Amino acid sequence: MNTLVVLLLILFGGGIIAYFAYNIHKIVGDIWLVLVGFAASIYYIGYLDVSQVLNIHLAGFVLTLALNSFSWIFGLLIAVLLPLVALYSIPYMKGQDRLGWFYMLFLFSVGGMYGILMAGDWLTLFIFWEIMTWSSYLIVIYRRSEDAPRVGLKYLIFSAIGAYSLLTAIVLIGANVHSLSISKFFEVLPMHSLGFKVLVGSLMLIGFGVKAAVMPLHVWAPDAYSTTPMNYTSMFSGALSKMGIYGIGLIVINLYYHSGISLAGEIVAWFGAITAVLATYYALIQKDAKRLMAWSSVAQLGYIVAGLGIGTKLSVFAGIYLAVLHGLFKANLFMAIGAVERQAGTTNFSELRALIRKMPWTFFSALISVIVLAGIPPLSGFVGKWMLYESMITSGHYVIVVFLFLASVAGFLYAFRFLFGVFLGQEEKEFEHVKEANPFMTVPMLLIALFLIVLGTFPGIMFKYIARSMADLGFYGVTYKMSVLTNDWGQSINMQYIAASLVIVFVLFLIVLTWVAYKNSRNVTTKDIHTSGEPPSEEDNYHFSENFYRPFQRAFAFVYKYAITPVYNEFARGIEDFFQYVRRLYTGNAQTYALYVLLFLAILFLIAKNIH
Amino acid sequence: MVATNHILVTPIYFIALPLFFAFLLPLLGKIYKSFIRIVPGLMFAYLAWMAVVLLLYVYKTGNPVIVKIAGWAPPIGIDLVFDQFTGFIATVIAILGFLVWMYSYLFKKVEFDNALKYFLLLMLIYAGSIGVVITGDLFNQFVFLEITGISAYALTAFYRGRDGAEAAFKYLLIGSFASTFVLLGILLIYTQLGTLNMADIARNIDKMDPTIKVIAFILLFTGFGIEAEMFPLNGWAPDAYSQSPGPIGAVFASMTSKAGLYALIRLSFTIFDFSSANELLFIMGILTLVFAEGIALRQEKIKRMLAYSSIGQIGLIMIAFSFNTYLGVFAGIFLMLNHALVKSLLFFSASFLAYNSPHKYIKDIQGFARYMPVTALMFGIGVFAIIGFPPFSGFWSKFYLLSAMAEKNFVILIILVLSVSLIELVYYFRVLHKLYFAEPTGEYQPHTPRWNAMLAMVLLALIIIAIGVYPDLVTGFIGKAAHAIMDKTTYINSVFSI
Amino acid sequence: MNIWNLLLSAIVTTLLGFIIGVTYMGIRRKIVALAQNRYGPPIYQNFLDILKFWSKESNIYHGVMHHLAPLWMIAMAITILLIVPTQYGSKFFENLSFNGDLILILYLMPFGQLGMALGVGQTGNPNSAIGVTRGLSLLVGSEIPFIMALIAVMIQYHTTSVTDLVRIQQEHHTWIMFSSPFAFLAALCVLPAMFHAGPYEVIIAPAELASGPMSEFGGKYLGTMMSAGSIFMFAKLTLFVDVFMGGSTNWLWLIVKTFTVYLFVIAVGIIMPRLRTEQAIRRLWGWPLVFAILAFIQVALF
Repeated sequence: MNTLVVLLLILFGGGIIAYFAYNIHKIVGDIWLVLVGFAASIYYIGYLDVSQVLNIHLAGFVLTLALNSFSWIFGLLIAVLLPLVALYSIPYMKGQDRLGWFYMLFLFSVGGMYGILMAGDWLTLFIFWEIMTWSSYLIVIYRRSEDAPRVGLKYLIFSAIGAYSLLTAIVLIGANVHSLSISKFFEVLPMHSLGFKVLVGSLMLIGFGVKAAVMPLHVWAPDAYSTTPMNYTSMFSGALSKMGIYGIGLIVINLYYHSGISLAGEIVAWFGAITAVLATYYALIQKDAKRLMAWSSVAQLGYIVAGLGIGTKLSVFAGIYLAVLHGLFKANLFMAIGAVERQAGTTNFSELRALIRKMPWTFFSALISVIVLAGIPPLSGFVGKWMLYESMITSGHYVIVVFLFLASVAGFLYAFRFLFGVFLGQEEKEFEHVKEANPFMTVPMLLIALFLIVLGTFPGIMFKYIARSMADLGFYGVTYKMSVLTNDWGQSINMQYIAASLVIVFVLFLIVLTWVAYKNSRNVTTKDIHTSGEPPSEEDNYHFSENFYRPFQRAFAFVYKYAITPVYNEFARGIEDFFQYVRRLYTGNAQTYALYVLLFLAILFLIAKNIH
Repeated sequence: MVATNHILVTPIYFIALPLFFAFLLPLLGKIYKSFIRIVPGLMFAYLAWMAVVLLLYVYKTGNPVIVKIAGWAPPIGIDLVFDQFTGFIATVIAILGFLVWMYSYLFKKVEFDNALKYFLLLMLIYAGSIGVVITGDLFNQFVFLEITGISAYALTAFYRGRDGAEAAFKYLLIGSFASTFVLLGILLIYTQLGTLNMADIARNIDKMDPTIKVIAFILLFTGFGIEAEMFPLNGWAPDAYSQSPGPIGAVFASMTSKAGLYALIRLSFTIFDFSSANELLFIMGILTLVFAEGIALRQEKIKRMLAYSSIGQIGLIMIAFSFNTYLGVFAGIFLMLNHALVKSLLFFSASFLAYNSPHKYIKDIQGFARYMPVTALMFGIGVFAIIGFPPFSGFWSKFYLLSAMAEKNFVILIILVLSVSLIELVYYFRVLHKLYFAEPTGEYQPHTPRWNAMLAMVLLALIIIAIGVYPDLVTGFIGKAAHAIMDKTTYINSVFSI
Repeated sequence: MNIWNLLLSAIVTTLLGFIIGVTYMGIRRKIVALAQNRYGPPIYQNFLDILKFWSKESNIYHGVMHHLAPLWMIAMAITILLIVPTQYGSKFFENLSFNGDLILILYLMPFGQLGMALGVGQTGNPNSAIGVTRGLSLLVGSEIPFIMALIAVMIQYHTTSVTDLVRIQQEHHTWIMFSSPFAFLAALCVLPAMFHAGPYEVIIAPAELASGPMSEFGGKYLGTMMSAGSIFMFAKLTLFVDVFMGGSTNWLWLIVKTFTVYLFVIAVGIIMPRLRTEQAIRRLWGWPLVFAILAFIQVALF
């Protein structure tokens, strides 16, 4: 039997069975969920036959299932995340109702993602794209919170805009290329007119851009990411958004590299860079950890889009690497936020205080992920950032790279905001009872964190697969080394030496400092601080959480003045008002309707001469 | 080319049986009260089965089943044509007729007179609708249109009250316009050609005086357009949909409007040879679509919203047919099928939602998902299908429609249709969100659907999903149907070969 | 490269960097005092301070991150010093200069700051956290013109490596400050901000006792931090000299060049009054940004 179909059956069938399993008992459902998660993951990594192709003739179309190395790497990301998220979900979703429904949709959306990656033709891709969309939409509104209708509708409208432009592109391809096959399309693309290429390309980019939250199509993302239960958000931001990246990668590289419209790539890269900057600016003024990370996701996806858009060997390499990495660390961060939400009951910065002592493991994995996010060496985030910047500098895109630097430097601000707001600061009695999260939650997080650390010094582990996938995109002869990164001008850095130097100095001084300082140390509370002789009393809390970056906001007030959401709202209101007006055509008066009929007849008679 | 007039399976029964039982129904009711429910059901079931058998026969042999009534061969006698196209539409109507019956089996259980009236009218409207579709005679078509219309007026005024009477009056007024125009058009043709048989008219259409031909066409187009709910002739429709009993909304959407639409299509595709008929259809389709969907966005009552949405779908179908390409017609027929299935499901579930809310406003149904989970889910499936999410059947028709547009490189039109689709999505999901998210207001009258209504809805939902997952269930029939309607000569020849 | 050789040279470089950095700090205190018409402490005062901090018996311990904070700083400072080429052409002082480039150095700098910020955060002192947010905000101001200047230089000389830049300047007997004047000006303008000196000292706010990131650190922690700070300062000066002023071939020449640059920073600090954070960001995005854009135009045109 075709292994691709088996994988889809595991996920979709597993989803349906999960629904019933949870209705039998929660434990049965949990066991089933973990089983499906691991089965799908192991099957994907170990048993999937990439060379297999399946053609299904349906409704006059040929639906093709085929995997290639480029899509395989995104599938790998899902395969890594799925079992970990499944484990994490058990304690996270404890006490929620309608779990069967939730996990059915959960597995459906994962199945949808795999379907997208396996799609060998646009129709299959679209079908799975829509399955993924509605199942994720239903998960977004799963918690029937007050906000859910608004958020859900927003997500759905933007998804629909994306899906419809994708659909338009697909039917245009069908009509002009007479085949819906993806590879065939890219083969014959250079032969088509520029107008067709630009039209279809931009429609596709809009379609994929919605899921990749490229500005100005990002509006749904911060809301949807923060409303959804965190265990799904980690998949949502980690894996589902990568489907958009996958599509953008396909389109941009084939338009740029094989079809010769380099401008298209440049424009896409600019969209990505501006997204990265603005989303970062919005992230750092958020008052809620979830929303902060949601905006941060938008920003990080901006980097990836920029990398793919530039379209040089190194930048695409960096883009794919960052995509995989973002999937891992952002999933980890959302898991950490979920753990905090579960244990402390809130994710609002103005309520949270100093959880570091209560939840050290969560803090550790969040810290590692934040370092990776900020791209600080020697962890893996830096590797991606380095390749991205160097690729842009060496290919002469120095204005874009400044924008990305700006986003990245401003990114330190929200990175600290997050860590400080959740884990640091003055402790408070209210959170004294808080305990570390369930091991089922912390262990998956720590596993990802560990992997992120290793990947920093030995990025070659990942490079192997990326180099293979590059060949599928038409970049042949990609070389890589385990720890040495080289740019297009031949300069290189060696991560092993850097990491060694940092670690040796760190450990050396740690030993010295601990040896000489620790035994005489006086362990004090966070109230016992230097405040010019006025220590805070038990009731006072001097935690710093409001207006965190007030000076920054003042300095960049011009950025915060504009927003796209009111524009969309005005547009929607305009449409509604227009039709409210048009509605008066139907007066409810029989005479009017009779008049319409006669008028219609009269008009037809007037134009009767033209009927032939 | 001619099927034998089998004693058990013949298209005549589509008309004869409902009319016969409609007259017999009061008598049957005297014998045993439940007969007024059971007998129509048996008849609908039989006719649905017969329709399927006939359609399979037509599909397999490729020959249309043509029946001459009273032994007179066309063009003098009246003939019923059950070919790939008319047969398909008739089958859809027949199956939905059965489902509507099943849904309303326990309707007005305690009020015998009302129930009698209801089932009687249901059979008449059914007979009229199928008659319009399968008849081969223009005047006969007019008669069936009248049967449909009169029973529809009565059904609109079913609930005695100011609103129902007003809606029925509007319908009656506009409907009489339709009858007048159609009749005038037929008269003009008859004076010119001396025949009423559609195939015969089509064969001799060039012999008509060009001016009279145009006038006849305009009159017929307007007349059928009224029945097909074309903008701006559809003022009656929202009122009629919302005032008639719940399941009748589904009947309007899946039977009467289909009959009108069929007449319109037959008019432009077969009877007349105007090439601008398609352009007219195209323009009116776009206007109907945009206005209806836009106005639906601003509706406050759920059934009115569904009514406007239904009109919008008719516009879409008109656009699809107006391309006059195989793909376009294919998409149009697929859309007709989907519209019949999905709108019926929506009306079925929505009428329970509206029934239980005090004022039938959308804001009144909030939180009802808690009381009626299955009904709400059915409504949800209907919404998903009508928006066109795979794997629901709506997706395929939408895809074919857009492919047909792309084939002609109508990019602007694609964008327009999809924008309208977006509006559709917004208002449907608003209702869905109200249904699931808002806190119940407490004004709830517990009329949960009984097993029969539930079964009808679930069956519809299953059909929708089955077609969505495996569209080849119907694409074969639709493909043949598309060929049949586009091929004028075969139609004429097969009618005259008996 | 011999590992023992590397270790030895690393230790020597670190020690030299430490001594030079701490001396510079002492000189700075002296100069500032003289400018304010005071005597000021002796030049070696900072050595005494660090010695005193290290010999303190007791420590205030706020938690793990607080304990680790100085280590991040010192690891970062020493690693950067090892990557920045101190002696052109010297095999012995090569250190790690072939294993890192400008982007790496730029990204290493936040490594220490992040560590310190976390340590500061754990203490619970709100004023320290405010200092950190100011520092991070200012980073956005200073980093962008600086990075633009560096990118202009990188693109002009087709290299991202500091070692290569030094080699090019040495071989052509020119300094980049002359061949790319705008880039140099941009970098020079933001230099005080990079040292948190002069008008950009709002972060540590040395005049106010209870504020600033350092206020919860005492004893050996503060000693480690001061050592790290002085090494880091010298590394930054060396980097600036390497990129814009031709690097150096011996320690003396390096000291002369770095001290000149440092003198400029001190002078600016004495003359200019302190700016609020948003003012500082606006000022950094004023002329320096204009110079940086001019540098880009220069690169693009020539």
